[in-house]
Amino acid sequence: MFLRQREPLSFERSVPGKRGMDLPKLDVPVAKDTRPAHLKRGGFDALPELSEVEVIRHFTRLSKWNYGVDDGIYPLGSCTMKHNPRLNEKVAGLPGFTDSHPMAPDAFVQGNLETIYTLQEWLKEITGLPGVTLQPSAGAAGELTGVMLIRAYHVSKGAKRRVILIPDSGHGTNPATAAMAGYEVVELPSRPDGTISFEDVTDPVNGKVRKGLNSLVSELGHEIAGAMITNPNTTGVFEFRFKEISDLLHSVGALVYMDGANMNALVGVARPGDFGVDVMHLNLHKTFSTPHGGGGPGAGPVCCAEKLVPFLPVPVVVRDTMKVGEGEVPKHSYRMDWNRPQSIGKVHTFYGNFGVLVRALTYCLSHGSDGLKEATLRAIVNANYIRARLKGTYALHIDSPTLHEVVFSDTNQAKHDVHTLDIAKRLIDYGYHPPTIYFPMIVPGALMIEPTESEGKDELDAFCDAMLQIAKEAEENPDLLHQAPTLAPLRRMDETTAARKPVLRWQKA
Amino acid sequence: MRYLPSSPVEDRALLDTIGVPNAEALLVGIPEPLRLRRDLDLPTQGSEQEVAWQMMGLANKNTRFCAQFLGAGAYDHFVPSAIDALISRQEWFTAYTPYQPEISQGTLQHIFEYQTLICDLTGLEVTNASLYDGGTACVEAALMAVRVAKKRHTVLVSRGLHPMYREVLKTNFAPHDDLKLVEVGLKDGVTDLADLQAKLNGDVAAVMVGYPNFLGAVEDLTTLAGPVHAAGALLVSVTQEAFAFGWFEAPGKAGADMACGEAMSLGNKLNFGGPFLGFLAVKDAHKREIPGRVVGQTKDLEGRTGYVLTLTAREQHIRRDKATSNICSNQGLVALRANIFMHLAGPEGLRGLAEQNAAKAQYLRQRLLELPDMERVIDQPFFNEFVLRYTGDYAVLQEACLKESLLPGLDLGRFYPEYAGCILWCATELHTRQMIESLVEILARVPATV
Repeated sequence: MFLRQREPLSFERSVPGKRGMDLPKLDVPVAKDTRPAHLKRGGFDALPELSEVEVIRHFTRLSKWNYGVDDGIYPLGSCTMKHNPRLNEKVAGLPGFTDSHPMAPDAFVQGNLETIYTLQEWLKEITGLPGVTLQPSAGAAGELTGVMLIRAYHVSKGAKRRVILIPDSGHGTNPATAAMAGYEVVELPSRPDGTISFEDVTDPVNGKVRKGLNSLVSELGHEIAGAMITNPNTTGVFEFRFKEISDLLHSVGALVYMDGANMNALVGVARPGDFGVDVMHLNLHKTFSTPHGGGGPGAGPVCCAEKLVPFLPVPVVVRDTMKVGEGEVPKHSYRMDWNRPQSIGKVHTFYGNFGVLVRALTYCLSHGSDGLKEATLRAIVNANYIRARLKGTYALHIDSPTLHEVVFSDTNQAKHDVHTLDIAKRLIDYGYHPPTIYFPMIVPGALMIEPTESEGKDELDAFCDAMLQIAKEAEENPDLLHQAPTLAPLRRMDETTAARKPVLRWQKA
Repeated sequence: MRYLPSSPVEDRALLDTIGVPNAEALLVGIPEPLRLRRDLDLPTQGSEQEVAWQMMGLANKNTRFCAQFLGAGAYDHFVPSAIDALISRQEWFTAYTPYQPEISQGTLQHIFEYQTLICDLTGLEVTNASLYDGGTACVEAALMAVRVAKKRHTVLVSRGLHPMYREVLKTNFAPHDDLKLVEVGLKDGVTDLADLQAKLNGDVAAVMVGYPNFLGAVEDLTTLAGPVHAAGALLVSVTQEAFAFGWFEAPGKAGADMACGEAMSLGNKLNFGGPFLGFLAVKDAHKREIPGRVVGQTKDLEGRTGYVLTLTAREQHIRRDKATSNICSNQGLVALRANIFMHLAGPEGLRGLAEQNAAKAQYLRQRLLELPDMERVIDQPFFNEFVLRYTGDYAVLQEACLKESLLPGLDLGRFYPEYAGCILWCATELHTRQMIESLVEILARVPATV
């Protein structure tokens, strides 16, 4: 990483006549041109002309400006940046999987269907929920699928209802999702410890009263379609009254959606199906180690309770067991069940990001029931180790027991006019990717750290040492932090101009 | 567990620093009755060798074909070796969304270049960092058109659009009581102009047509744009085979206001339908309504050119329930494959590949039409897919092909009852003349059914 030389845009390197691809000889007659004149492809304005070696160098050089999980700790809170096993990549690249066509008849893709079915079974046991769809392509797509299931359920009971409750600590995708599913969002206030407040909360600054869960449930009652709750919440704290929350919501017929972004804290330790969750999504690219790929592809399977199963997207992969004689091993075959009249329909063109599902199943088989639990505990130990080492130097806004992540505040450093952004940028100079910053919004100047189970003591110590050194610099030489980063390929970027006068593509001068 | 950096001595040191006797003690925040008091009922951990064999066993249970004459939204193309080699670099595949631009310039510059090339292919001015797939790209395009059009609530969808894209649109429109999806019928394989004109009114925000459509036929965007624009609606072209951009005019230059669809053809394998690559390109005037991540060019403190995620005021982490979409990721690595592919192909490669696809499909069609039981159905310009009526029994034909490890075209009646008995065929640069001759030879032997 961190090559110092500049790599220009490829377009600036383009030279007419260069080629990076040779085509096979055409062994059939040249195509007759039946296109109307106005539909014939005209020229290209940007496609560059480069040889293969230049293309490879270009993308290799660009890659060196990225920080990856193999470079070191990647402590983005809520993002679960864990090790990406190479076996998973190799398996997902097997031609048996990669060359299979999504429109091929079921009989010829039995391996794919068994892969999907087996992963479904693992996720059912892990979440304690009996229904699964693997179609959603990402966490947000899973949320949308889940809320559509909630809607379909209520519609089947007579009315879709009007409101979804979402805690103020929730991820921004939750309210955006509820809106996309046609719901009005009502915010649930948090208590000082970050968990959902049953009681009304008076804002200490403006004196405004925000209604707590009790008031909202009694006032809105049957208008509430459901609540979307992240658990553990975005401060890393388990909603310890989760069962009471779900009982209260169920008492007015509302359903409980759990945002599973933080499931890495629970696998093998607690199951959402056991504490009242009706529907949830998992992020395979977080909890199940599938690579983030610089933004995707991910996968956001949705798991649900029995009462929501009829509404799952089509097709659902099912297993048929053929009759065999006594003492023989039963034979299975797999098929896609499209005949589900109450289904919400399709949420992906085909069956989801299948290549990602293959990686997730490989992760499951490698870990097994014992390894999954060990990974969870290790992730929790690592986060608490960082908490123990940095507590005091960095302010802990919330002092409740935390699981897989810890959220600090910049209030100690703010006294020296050093803020979260400065701390984050200075970490880059120390060779680390910064944590998630300014989220959750309920913590002032939040620094949200999630080390995951992939870090050993050495790496945790080196990271903590850097954080402590930065805190010292904040007192002694705050300007060092204001200027940071100085050792990265670029200094701080002018994001204001980028948004005000957007340049979103290259154009020929 | 080989992925966990644990050792008894170090683990002890971690716990001592925290001040707990064991890891379980850290679960104190989870109330006792909510904890799982047993092991998960799943197999225990597997070594790399065991898991590799198990997964290879699954991959081997899929049937391998010598040639697949099936497209229908998922196209088999040659993938240059450089792509797998490059995307296997950990800097590309393990990185997160580029939130910290100073150490994510690789991803950011790549996306800026990718955006440039998607704009070039589509002839439009602004695109995003990619969407999940063709179907969900249609949803984002339709919802965006409704936002742009303001106070219009209907989206007209041509029956020629991929049937699964239409299904995904239907699912996502269902929650919006105020929005309407209305289908426009087909005539001779393309959108029926008379039906379109009858359905256009002041409430129509957008009209979506396939380019080429699911039946392989190209829609005349220029002709359609007239009535659509006269009604004050936006014309949205939906392309499921990105190679067609090398053959047909860029939609933005032929009359479309927005172009969306599926770009998996650019450097990706079939992967049983995913991960694929959705795209959406729009006009500059509409840029603040586009969903998803967008990368822009800017300068750093020292005046050096660099790239950042921008126009974030549209997004959910700022606008929450008022955001343009709930999308906060993209198909990053798939977009990278497409970007590398477009760099390797260049203008000549893309045009040449398109010419080969057109030539192979035309040859396949001509040879199939020489068979007594294949008949013309649609007479429209096509690219690498086309429809023929088969007077025999599809099940028998399929059986005969599968016996010889060939996957035949799609039985169209499954999605279009009006085209029952018709087959949607596809050929790409991967299909040699010999493969085509083998197919024709096998089909010639299929017994005619009465």
